[in-house]
Amino acid sequence: MTDTHPTTDGDGHAPVTVEFLGNWRNAAYNCFSSGHKFCREVCPVMQVTRNESWTPTAFHANVVAMEQGELTVEDVAEDYVNCTQCGACELRCPNTLFTGDFYRFRTRTVDLVKQMRALAVDNGIHQPGYQRWNSLTDERTHEPVLGSYDNPVPVSQQHVRDWADGLDLPTGGETILFVDCEAAFYRTSVPRAVAQLLRKAGYEFGLMREQWCCGGPAAEMGYRDQSRRFAEHNLADWRASGVKRVLVLDPHDYITFTEDYPGYFGADFDIEIVLVVELLAQLIADGKLTPTVPVERTITYHDPCRLNKRKGIWQEPRQVLRAIPGLTFHDVDRVTQWSYCSGGGGGLPVEKPELTKKISAARIEKAAELEVDTLVSACPWSERPLAEAGAAQSIDVVDIHELLAESCGIEVGGSTGS
Amino acid sequence: MTAQLTDQVLDELVAVLGKDYVLTSKTARMNRARVPAPFPVHRWRDRVPDLVVMPGTTAEVAEVVRIANTHRIPIVPRDGGTGLTDGAVPERRGIVVDVKRMNEITEIDLENRTCTVGPGINMLKLNEVLAKHGLIYPDNPASYPCSLVGGRIGTSGWSLVGSRYGHTRDLVLSFEMVLPTGRVIRVGDGGGLKVSKSSSGYQLKHLFMGHQGTLGIATEATLKLYPKPETEFSPFWAFADFESAYACLGQLARAGVATFAGAVLFDEWKVDYLRRDDEAYIPQPADVRALVCAVCYGNDDEVRAGGKRLMRIARDMGARYLGDEISQGDWAARHDRYATPLHGRTKEGQVAPMSWHCEDAAISYTDLAAVRIAWHDIVARLRDKHPIFDDWGMFFYTSADTGVDYLTEIDVGIWEQELDDAAWAAWVDAKREIAAVALRHGGSISACHGSCREGEVDLVPEELGGGYDVMLAVKKSLDPNNIMNPGKYGLQRAYEGES
Repeated sequence: MTDTHPTTDGDGHAPVTVEFLGNWRNAAYNCFSSGHKFCREVCPVMQVTRNESWTPTAFHANVVAMEQGELTVEDVAEDYVNCTQCGACELRCPNTLFTGDFYRFRTRTVDLVKQMRALAVDNGIHQPGYQRWNSLTDERTHEPVLGSYDNPVPVSQQHVRDWADGLDLPTGGETILFVDCEAAFYRTSVPRAVAQLLRKAGYEFGLMREQWCCGGPAAEMGYRDQSRRFAEHNLADWRASGVKRVLVLDPHDYITFTEDYPGYFGADFDIEIVLVVELLAQLIADGKLTPTVPVERTITYHDPCRLNKRKGIWQEPRQVLRAIPGLTFHDVDRVTQWSYCSGGGGGLPVEKPELTKKISAARIEKAAELEVDTLVSACPWSERPLAEAGAAQSIDVVDIHELLAESCGIEVGGSTGS
Repeated sequence: MTAQLTDQVLDELVAVLGKDYVLTSKTARMNRARVPAPFPVHRWRDRVPDLVVMPGTTAEVAEVVRIANTHRIPIVPRDGGTGLTDGAVPERRGIVVDVKRMNEITEIDLENRTCTVGPGINMLKLNEVLAKHGLIYPDNPASYPCSLVGGRIGTSGWSLVGSRYGHTRDLVLSFEMVLPTGRVIRVGDGGGLKVSKSSSGYQLKHLFMGHQGTLGIATEATLKLYPKPETEFSPFWAFADFESAYACLGQLARAGVATFAGAVLFDEWKVDYLRRDDEAYIPQPADVRALVCAVCYGNDDEVRAGGKRLMRIARDMGARYLGDEISQGDWAARHDRYATPLHGRTKEGQVAPMSWHCEDAAISYTDLAAVRIAWHDIVARLRDKHPIFDDWGMFFYTSADTGVDYLTEIDVGIWEQELDDAAWAAWVDAKREIAAVALRHGGSISACHGSCREGEVDLVPEELGGGYDVMLAVKKSLDPNNIMNPGKYGLQRAYEGES
């Protein structure tokens, strides 16, 4: 509780920290000197903790304090765990809303959180959960399955295609389907639904030759060297097998491939990345896929943060849902959903599962108010915490691809994890 | 660290709150040392509290206050921390009592049109819930998306649509207060929770509104609710000069239109600034030098009738209606616009990252024009000495439905990264001069933002006269040990001569 001033010359920081502070100085001041906190009530972590230390404003102010020599990376590192990287704060920020158009300025809290976590790792400061998660990922080339450290789901290169058992899918080709770790090893019904839908529509694709984790989670938790190594492996594998197009069913992978990979590889990254839910909406519109089996459910749709808030993708999932006969759809507009989150992203469930639980319970509460029996999502990472919270309210959590497959008469198989 | 803040105190607080809600980390403390008002960043460390507590109930707040009072430790209540007068800033370190966890809605009374909430709830979030019942709590500051009900009480908040619905003091029917000794009382109009007018006893509600945390901590409030308006009408009109806009503004406010919720005049400095540096603003032709916007809320048929009357008045006053685009685009954005710019210009025209600050006063209609000239002069002289300041123009907002007084505001851009002690001192002098002008014109130092910051606070005794002596007496009587937000409003004078 004593007030120590760690760096009287302001340069007591490690060189990597000084560089970081130089990069973020003005962006941090833009938030600090505005000081208005419109981000706060849309932030999923703030909504459940009410803790001002864990807000986008604080995340920027800490940078100013570090620059002033008032705080060190050791002081702040742990606070940055409290973020799902959903991006709501960036959208709600007055600096984004009102100067963004003209100056192309956008508050970049997600990037700040990622880089601060990386700075911590670069300074040798590790969060135990993140460290373990990433070391297991490094060992197995895939992420562990949450909550199964002791009795592990077999996660390894040998098992990465187990989800496709019996589907007889080819490997390789110009277009491959990339299946994220959560879907490949836990909610296997999602990739099974996607593969069978694409096959039904006559869309040709293969599986990846040697798929490793996309590397995105490592980047989200600050382990950027590992992330880069994984990215290099995957890109090399794609190049070696002549891949031109990668189909992605998980919004987290979609962010990694469209933001992190171009960051790593620059203009050399010429692989086309296709989001499966957008492709399916197109196939339906083109008449190549027609859902005909009525699905008698009363649903609402959960806009996955990485699609809605980070990529502006909200129309296509709704087009898919409106094409499914039998559904009663109580929709909630995408802007209201800026303040919704499953709590499953950004490594939060790895370090703070209790917060993930509160956030998903709050999200399910919103669905319950609409008197629906089903919450549909389009993100496997959201579906586990939401399903757990949904069980308490008798609300089924279903993946949009699973639902579409059912309406196309496909017997999906696999596991929903429940 | 305050000498009294020992491990024993910490243990007592942990025993009451649990260790998760007694925060001692440097980040927790530094992030509760500020509000949006600019401040020289190199002096941030002077205002960092010793620790932060996050109570969840009135009983916990009372217990924390009792502990602090016993050990003579300063307490600073913190709600949203969005105020502009430093009420939530710890000047003497001590314990920040952050009430954001207390954000529950404990009752919605559809028959009496009230709700009862914790002080940590935000109005926008509350209205999301009330909307399901067709109701609204119309306390509508520029910080509407982030300020909290308890802070609105502590600062006696001003509402943009106050000409129709009243301000925080009118909208909060009653509230629970933890006094500086830890005693819990309920204040309202008389004793009832849901009474809007009583003539029983002293009217204590006003006393505990706008005390800036010096008299206790609000822990629950019962609020007055209105039907959610069916319709909004928000015309913008352009004028060739300030004088004609000013004349029109007066006519609109005096028209007695029941659905009239407010009007605002932008002077030519403001229009110039918006044209120059505010990208969200819809540009107007060069011959536009002043703007007036009005807004009506209510039932569709009544808003239509009232709106027609306002349109007729404006036309008769020579106003040019600017069309629907700006009405929809700009009025909707108005709440968010107080944080708008990321930048301003130095005297030489260099674009620089600047933060926004506004000085405000409550001024009667007849004095607005003179105050405007005097204030722009003060900021021009400040800018001559220190080019890190920029004049972003003035607003005049109606405070009441009769047009008697206006929230009068001058917005000043400040390049905070360059703010040193000398520039800060010049700024404080300018603030004092701005307040002095308001008093010379028979106004009040602040309609909205408060008057307990460096500079203007020096003039509060002059403004209130004998009333200030009553403030001192009340403070000392309710807070015998001066633990509640010490240093604010110069109230330490009440204890002078004591050891």
